[in-house]
Amino acid sequence: MAIESARHPTRDERVAYVGLLARLFQRPEIGSLVGVVAVFVLFTSTATGFAELDGFARWTDEASNIGIMAVPVALLMIGGEFDLSAGVMTGSAGLLLGYLVTHPDWNIWPAILVVLLFGMLVGLINGVLVMKTRLPSFIVTLGTFFSLEGLNLGLTSHVTGTVYISDVDAAHGYGLARTILGSSFWSPYDFQTRVIWWVGITLVATWVLMRTRFGNWIFAVGGDATAARNVGVPVLRTKIALFMTTSTMAALLGIMITMQLRSIQAGQGIGREFEFIIAAVVGGCLLTGGYGSAIGTSIGALIMGMATIGIPFSGWNSNYRSLFLGIILLLAVLLNAAIRQQAVRSRR
Amino acid sequence: MSERDELKILEEAEGLSRRDLIVKGGIVTAGASLLGSPAVAAAAVKRSARADKKLSYAVITHGAGDVFWAVVKKGVAKAASDLGVSTTYSESFNKPDKQAQLIDTAVARKPNGIAVSAPNASAIKDSLRRAEKAGIIVITLNSGVDQFKQLGALTHVGQTENIAGAGAGQRLAATGAKHLLVIFHEAANIGLEQRFAGAKSTFKGKVSRILVKGVTDVATSTNEIRTKLQADKSIDAILALNPQMGIAARDAAKGVKSKAKIGTFDLSSDVIKAIQRGQVLFAVDQQQYEQGYLPIVFMYLYNTNLNTVGGGKPVLTGPGFVDKSNAAKVSALAKKGTR
Amino acid sequence: MSERHLLEVERVSKYFGNVIALKDVSAHLNAGEVLCVLGDNGAGKSTLIKMLSGVFEPDEGRLIMDGEEVRLHSPREARGRGVATVYQDLAVVPLMSIWRNFFLGAEPTTGLPPARRFDIRFAKKEVRQHLLDMGIDIRDPDQPVGTLSGGERQGVAIARAVYFGARVLILDEPTSALGVKPAGVVLRNILQARNRGVGVIFITHNPHHAYPVGDRFVILNRGQSLGTYGRKEIDQQELVRLMAGGSELSELQHELQVLSAEIART
Repeated sequence: MAIESARHPTRDERVAYVGLLARLFQRPEIGSLVGVVAVFVLFTSTATGFAELDGFARWTDEASNIGIMAVPVALLMIGGEFDLSAGVMTGSAGLLLGYLVTHPDWNIWPAILVVLLFGMLVGLINGVLVMKTRLPSFIVTLGTFFSLEGLNLGLTSHVTGTVYISDVDAAHGYGLARTILGSSFWSPYDFQTRVIWWVGITLVATWVLMRTRFGNWIFAVGGDATAARNVGVPVLRTKIALFMTTSTMAALLGIMITMQLRSIQAGQGIGREFEFIIAAVVGGCLLTGGYGSAIGTSIGALIMGMATIGIPFSGWNSNYRSLFLGIILLLAVLLNAAIRQQAVRSRR
Repeated sequence: MSERDELKILEEAEGLSRRDLIVKGGIVTAGASLLGSPAVAAAAVKRSARADKKLSYAVITHGAGDVFWAVVKKGVAKAASDLGVSTTYSESFNKPDKQAQLIDTAVARKPNGIAVSAPNASAIKDSLRRAEKAGIIVITLNSGVDQFKQLGALTHVGQTENIAGAGAGQRLAATGAKHLLVIFHEAANIGLEQRFAGAKSTFKGKVSRILVKGVTDVATSTNEIRTKLQADKSIDAILALNPQMGIAARDAAKGVKSKAKIGTFDLSSDVIKAIQRGQVLFAVDQQQYEQGYLPIVFMYLYNTNLNTVGGGKPVLTGPGFVDKSNAAKVSALAKKGTR
Repeated sequence: MSERHLLEVERVSKYFGNVIALKDVSAHLNAGEVLCVLGDNGAGKSTLIKMLSGVFEPDEGRLIMDGEEVRLHSPREARGRGVATVYQDLAVVPLMSIWRNFFLGAEPTTGLPPARRFDIRFAKKEVRQHLLDMGIDIRDPDQPVGTLSGGERQGVAIARAVYFGARVLILDEPTSALGVKPAGVVLRNILQARNRGVGVIFITHNPHHAYPVGDRFVILNRGQSLGTYGRKEIDQQELVRLMAGGSELSELQHELQVLSAEIART
């Protein structure tokens, strides 16, 4: 039987040229890019000041609230799992921090460390439960969500008699911690420091996802965990690491919010968990896993931040905020699906 | 309600506990004809025959775990310990269907009375009717002042939101402000709408409104308010309808260096501090501690002595105003979580 | 038997509870040779491969590699000894690109921690070159594996195994889900691998695919070996007959003839 000889390499140049444009359209971020431009143009035309630094500061603030968590949640989704406890975890973390610095009067820095460790622990529990029980992570983390919600309300009211913890600013070391984690800069616009953290987290996540071994594993365990296991990818470790990342980032966000507001409500964060997932989906992540982008997710968070702020800026009836977000989500998902189909077709 | 009246009611409550069972039974039967409700009377007789058993009451509100309702809960607990009755407290987190469910659950345990907040009267109407059929008395609190009679409640303990809102609007108008922004933190809450309507009626100027994320995300709410203030520099008065939102409004205004005068509804330690510092002008205090305490007392009085209160009208717990003149005194009480 | 074979199973048996999956099966494989393992479903083929790839150990008998007895405790250990198995589901992740799949689990890295990164440029270059060497022409290593045809995917999986130094390549029914033309491509890839000195174990239930590429054939039926035949000892028809159960098939054919005659009469 004849064996085909190696082809001549000149064929590659032709392939490379066509690839560039088609490749752009295959990127998971393309849908969200189109979306963010559209939303920006929309609000710039309906609201004065939206495109100025004033507006910029406001919608990046809201975007960072969503984005800091949406990025790790997106990584987890690419890895094939969900974490519905991500929202309420920010509350748990903030409350723990508030408690440690107001009741036993800890210095803020060891308290922050303990809260981050607590985040890692919750993530570890989530991960181990999901992997050992083989139950859908949607269900397991829903259980965590309700447990944390109950603990947040119950323990807070038990310890303080009310439903929030305040006077966090009386803690030792608060000043520096606030500067790094919860302050704002560039008066009079007041950009939140959180925004810088958000951008940093997005860049790190993108680098890990696209340029490291671990990132390759994330795509693999989300795309086909059995195949990944068969070629030697440590599926268990990878998924548990992803769960730990979301919970720890949630703890970080909870700390930041507590630093900014000097207090924390027992109900903080409840309801946010779906917004994180929406941002990830708008950014190109598949609900079934194995595909997505951290940058796209952050762009999705940016869209949502723009919408939340653009509506009051434009003087629209803010009752319609949810309707607006729902429409954006649907459009973004349809756009992503259409572009993906187009990209696959253009290959053949 | 003045302190004197409060004390009077308490005295009468204490006096009742020494009454004789048989005498109670006779009075109940006589009272039945006065009320013209034989079923209630029969049930009440049955109940006082078992009067050795501790009286129990269920309180079901639409609270969402926030600081306002925590004070109500404290009032309920204090009334229970003062009167020697047992109470349960549950919240429906603003979900009317959940509240109906909680009422049904409570009724199944056969309390002597239930006290409910009624922001959505039609949703809980059937559940309350079932309760009344079972001989359980009902009192409404906090919201539902216009529907308490239709719901079959003995009375309503609360603040008429319209009047409270009007008071707030008046105070803000008196500062010379021309454009008022009202901050909604809950959608579809009739009580909040009534406050808004009241404020609008007395504020002589432009009134706008904004719906913000609410207590589950104060940071976002602050951001949204600040955006609004940035977008519309003519706003010179802000009325928040909840203490956390009052603080959010203060932070937002501070951020844009707005000179807007801020008023808020209901108290928290942060709000009182802000009033003392002059950052918030006043807080409309509906004295929700009483909204927890008084319904228990009234139901106790009815169960033990067939006393009615209010004469067919609601029993008002507000509006009280906390401003710089009395903030310090109230502050000490707020620290205990009772105001 | 003192010949040194690349891989050998000597009278292996495997039981699952009461079920005898394999009984007393012996076979051997040399480098640069294609051994076809044939048999219908339930014959014990998948049990045999799992044993060879370290998923479980034989209950009786032994495994011998390079003349020495070995015990394979895990797939990773098997892989470590150069036994690569390509399962029917291929162990590729459809959404990932070819180069990502190729180096999955064995990613080349460059740089120092904490900035140690996946050497993507090297990976893409290697993939393109190696696939060309194996006669697989893919237009773009960035395309997701899911967009490749079934035959191309098999080719990538086989090429991957060869690249990572497989000495024994076990292919589990690679052509069973493919049409005629893609099956042909896979058979070509098998020969490519063989010519590189890899010992290939080609498991299939299709004797028409096995015959063109096999050097030797072992036929399994209900857990037992019906014998091993070299290419010179058997022809395609005989292979089919043995596979189909020999006498059983002719009995069935006889019954069918009788039945159709009856139907014709009525």
